[in-house]
Amino acid sequence: MSTRPPLTTAGDYRRPVTLGNPILDLNPITMLLSITFVAVVAVAVDGWVAPVVVAAVFVLLAFLAGKGRTYLVLILKLWLVVGLLLFVLRALLIKGETVWIPLGPIAVTEEGVLDGLRFSTVVMAICGAVTLFFTLVPMRRFTLALERLGVSPRASYVVLASFQAITDLGTTARAVMDAQKARGIETEGNLLVRAKAFFPVLAPVFLSAMSATEERAIALDARAFNAHGPRTSLVLLPPTAAGERVVVVLCALLAAAAITGGVLGWF
Amino acid sequence: MVLASLRDVRFTYAYADRSALDGVTLELASGGLHGVVGLNASGKSTLCALLRGIIPHFHTGQLTGEVEVLGRPLLEWEPADLSRAVGCVFDNPFTQISGIRDTVFEEIALGLENLGTPRDEMIERIERVVEQIGLQAIVAKNPNDLSGGQRQKVAFASIIAMDADVMIIDEPTSQLDPEASEAVFQIIADLKARGKSIVLVEHKTDLLATYADTITVLSEGRVALTGPTRDVLSDPRILEFGVRPPDVTELAWRLADAGKPLGSTPITSAEAQAAVRQRLEKRAS
Amino acid sequence: MIELRDVRFTYPDGSTAVAGVDLSIASGERVAIVGQNGAGKTTTVKLMNALLTPTAGEVLIDGVSTAGRTTAQVARSVGYVFQNPDDQLFSADVRSEIAFLPRYLKWPDDMITERVEQAAALAGITDHLDTNPKDLPSAVRKFVAIAAVLVSGCSHVILDEPTAGLDTRGLDLLTGILDSLERDGVTVVTITHDMRFVTDAFTRVVAMAQGRIVADGELADVFGDDDVLAQARLKRPDPAQLARDLRLGDRVVTIDDVVAAIP
Repeated sequence: MSTRPPLTTAGDYRRPVTLGNPILDLNPITMLLSITFVAVVAVAVDGWVAPVVVAAVFVLLAFLAGKGRTYLVLILKLWLVVGLLLFVLRALLIKGETVWIPLGPIAVTEEGVLDGLRFSTVVMAICGAVTLFFTLVPMRRFTLALERLGVSPRASYVVLASFQAITDLGTTARAVMDAQKARGIETEGNLLVRAKAFFPVLAPVFLSAMSATEERAIALDARAFNAHGPRTSLVLLPPTAAGERVVVVLCALLAAAAITGGVLGWF
Repeated sequence: MVLASLRDVRFTYAYADRSALDGVTLELASGGLHGVVGLNASGKSTLCALLRGIIPHFHTGQLTGEVEVLGRPLLEWEPADLSRAVGCVFDNPFTQISGIRDTVFEEIALGLENLGTPRDEMIERIERVVEQIGLQAIVAKNPNDLSGGQRQKVAFASIIAMDADVMIIDEPTSQLDPEASEAVFQIIADLKARGKSIVLVEHKTDLLATYADTITVLSEGRVALTGPTRDVLSDPRILEFGVRPPDVTELAWRLADAGKPLGSTPITSAEAQAAVRQRLEKRAS
Repeated sequence: MIELRDVRFTYPDGSTAVAGVDLSIASGERVAIVGQNGAGKTTTVKLMNALLTPTAGEVLIDGVSTAGRTTAQVARSVGYVFQNPDDQLFSADVRSEIAFLPRYLKWPDDMITERVEQAAALAGITDHLDTNPKDLPSAVRKFVAIAAVLVSGCSHVILDEPTAGLDTRGLDLLTGILDSLERDGVTVVTITHDMRFVTDAFTRVVAMAQGRIVADGELADVFGDDDVLAQARLKRPDPAQLARDLRLGDRVVTIDDVVAAIP
């Protein structure tokens, strides 16, 4: 997930480590809060227009951060697979009075369509928020920001090691399939053949991800992971600009306004 | 000062039916490079784990006998203090990489961060270690993308950077090619020259012959032989304990068997050259 | 027979791992492949069992090209023991691990039992048949992987660095396995860093550097040649170096050679 420019000299660590883009350099907590507040707007305001606007805002942010293409590809896949499915299901299953397409019990009604639009766009907006966060913020910087707020390094380790384990699963799966091939077990061909080769090793792939945890714990201990006393950090995050707090507060206000408006029926 | 002192130490891992250490009495002097050799199940790794405090803090089991590290009984050491005083490198390169740092440079920094080292000093130490071990080419790579041999070097670098006075090193060259193995031994020798005490478990007796001060042979959880490197490696009894002698030493024994004995038993190639030359000259005269 | 004809292999990222290799190994021959890490040894042997497809050139197993055949098809005749045994061990106990391929191939049960026990005996792991491989020390796991490959009786076997981390007993066991395979006429290709093992157990050595073969011949052809050693960044084994320094002869390489050469 990390896409910063390669650090080849130690000098790079003497200065705050920049990701080369002002949005990417924002404090991860700022990102988290801002994105969350904006997502709240999508939920709080009724109808399907607000969530679509919010989703568009996210796409815009992604482009401003230089990750537009990556984000757009992910988000379009989400919309087409999940969003469309949710829309169709709600449109068919929600009962209403104004029938547009008579199909008996799963007749498409105006109410159903509107409900479907609302539901699917809200879900997409939330998914968009989560995807945006993980696309723009490398987990390492996030845990670093959390540690600066006092979160224990053990918690960061669990988060980062879990993400790494997921990445490793891919590598392990490939190594496992190679081993199966090398044994003479056919892996190429139709789905059934592939399944026959892959399923017996599914459990071991997962198990190996969790293997040697004791050895890892001992190796971490050798790095003084369990030492008491203050820790320092090699990586310096760019300082949190005053403007960032303003941004967060604005977003919070926006969210508050949206919630209030939703409750009071302004929309 | 004494690096470590063990008196009749016995240890059985929980759930094991046989003891891993079965009456070990051993004393290792400070400031030396102590080689530990023996068959794979002879207790070498258990000894390392003990000296490092992994036994009994991580691995539970039955431990009897007296163990002292750096003059203090093992059980009186605070685990955190022990991990500061004693650096440890293992033989599995895949579990020694933390997996939570994006570049080799940051990976090496992990231990220093945990020790609260100021940033400038951290960077200086890491640069020095990178230079020492020759990691310049991979310093910006993701540790999770490295090969086994590269990971081993990074793990090594990470522990060296922490600069503990004592190092327990368990088979650091098993994944490395001969050139890299020699480089690792040279680094270890350099550490010793800087006053560190080192316990090194290895199979490569040729390299131990050149660099180690003492050799301890373990067999079935007991100390079979221990003493200065020369005395142990030139002792034919090491064959019984599954220790492969240096090539030149085996050559000397086979020459003796063939009725062509050398004047002395060499353990390094330089010594072998001298001994064989002597024999050739004597025969010529 | 294993043949590589002007084989090249380039990784998707553009790096060339094998830059034109010609190699011919007769059936039943025993060959050691040596060279620095990164010289292309593992890539070359992965081309032999079609785990990798050459970007140029041809690989022929027993006269048949691997082009157009799947890895699994080629693997029926070319067994491969990975450098890291954990990459190929998945079963809950050693017996099932060794029996995995025979069961997949639907051999009759009594044949499976017999061959599993044979393979386990050869690999020295009969005592561990009912143990979970994960509970065994890594050196023993190597032999489990070897047994799992040998059980199918393929005519060619590749071993990728089987000597790493082995003690003298393990090395003796490994040598015993190689001798047994030789008696059965199985071709053996071994990648190793252990020069003593090479001089003790092999008569043909292939030295690689930077994706090419720099030497292919008898022990003395490789270890007696300064250029080859320099290119492959190998150190001459001590006995051979001794022979050189004392001018005992150009073809003196092993300890036995030196003993014979010293008056």
